[in-house]
Amino acid sequence: MTGLIWKDALVMRKNIRFYVIFLLAYFGLAVLGVFDASIVISFSTVIIMVLPISCFSFDETAKWDRFCRSLPLESRDIVGARYLFTLLILLVLAACSSMCAVALTLLDLGNASLIENLASILGSMGAGLFIVDVMLPLCYKLGPERARPYLFAVIFIPFIALFLLLRFGHDLGLSLEFLNRLPELNALGVIALLPLAGLACLGLSFLISCRIVDRKEF
Amino acid sequence: MKNCLEIKDLCKSYGDFALDHVNLTIPGGTIMGLIGENGAGKTTTIKCILNLIRRDSGTITILGKDNVADERAAKLEVGVVLDECFFHDSLRPKDLKRILGPVYPTWDDNLYADYLKKFKLPEEKLIKEFSRGMKMKLSLAAALAHQPKLLILDEATAGLDPVVRDEILDEFLSFICDEDHAILISSHITSDLEKAADYITYIHEGKIVLSEAKDDILDRYGRVGCSAADLRAIDPSDLLRVRKGSFGCEALVPDRGAFHKKYPKLMVEKIHLEDIMLFVGKGEET
Repeated sequence: MTGLIWKDALVMRKNIRFYVIFLLAYFGLAVLGVFDASIVISFSTVIIMVLPISCFSFDETAKWDRFCRSLPLESRDIVGARYLFTLLILLVLAACSSMCAVALTLLDLGNASLIENLASILGSMGAGLFIVDVMLPLCYKLGPERARPYLFAVIFIPFIALFLLLRFGHDLGLSLEFLNRLPELNALGVIALLPLAGLACLGLSFLISCRIVDRKEF
Repeated sequence: MKNCLEIKDLCKSYGDFALDHVNLTIPGGTIMGLIGENGAGKTTTIKCILNLIRRDSGTITILGKDNVADERAAKLEVGVVLDECFFHDSLRPKDLKRILGPVYPTWDDNLYADYLKKFKLPEEKLIKEFSRGMKMKLSLAAALAHQPKLLILDEATAGLDPVVRDEILDEFLSFICDEDHAILISSHITSDLEKAADYITYIHEGKIVLSEAKDDILDRYGRVGCSAADLRAIDPSDLLRVRKGSFGCEALVPDRGAFHKKYPKLMVEKIHLEDIMLFVGKGEET
């Protein structure tokens, strides 16, 4: 499994380098006050969902899957490596974004407080994980090209759900107002449930992907 | 001599095409050449061996291990070179150590470096800058670096120039010097198989029509060229296949010596594997 995680990292190194430069540049601009730090944090979500799907595209171009199945690896190893690579990206991005948020607070820059920035990070991680939870099994089932149109649907579902909650939630007795009444740290704890739920769904998503790969012929 | 690969009654149906009770045995220290037209079932057989597709029935044993029940252990002993190089263009040969090293406990970094040196493959160059010959040599180096006992090659030499092919064939010959090693190679380039293979298996429309020692095939089989009138005079049981043309007829004979004794006036020539393929693929039954 380690070999396959290395493979994803090595194949994606050019893209990873690009994203690192991009994030550093935006962080620099945030320090200079040109952009808000939230842009850097939101972009993390994009990276979480783009990198694993790009891995599928690169594998498809190289026709790697057929060769990979000829290696002494079980489908759990093959699928597990991709999921672990995704988790690794998530952890690195969460760590980097948190460090940015702390640095901006220490430098007394930006409009948002540290808690608000951390809440944005947790929200971004949750959204990114939700997208990955759905997209990875779809990529295994349909291939990256045929799965791509579903990406747009998956991205819009949380936004539509949030919009509906904000617009009509009050009438239905559902409201996010309670977050404002909670102490900041408690509110942060509630928001932390989003990535935790995303992680729990990642387990389910992994099992579905394993089943898909098990049934596939190459 | 231990068998490195045993296939018994392998069947796999796709509806319009089926592998029909394929039997194949490769003893250690030998090279088995798998020949057949496009779509005859060579790649399907190899895919079944590697468990890339599910077989309908039959058994496949790699060095005594079932390829499905004991898949991981069986595959640890196998090196695979398929018809293309499956390594990403953005990788370099040195990256393959990190990728395949953890996959195979027997992976040997020094051996891999030796093969790269032997095949003149630069470690630092991007794979996208490699020629087809270099890519196939890289695939072979990667397949050999974990010291497999069975090497499976599917059209691995297709599209390569004679010099590179010869280099690769030399490598195969040194690989099977060890009696525990064997090679299954599917190829359209029958001249390569005539040089290197010990056994030939010919698959035609999903069935094995010929599976014998190469030397026996080349020593025994023959081709007789004659007129239509001569052909009518030959006992059909002395012929395997016939091809009729506007300028004459030719037939495949199963025993060149016996045929020459029985029909001394007719000229029987030695035959190549390609001729046998043409007779079976394009000829008529007698």
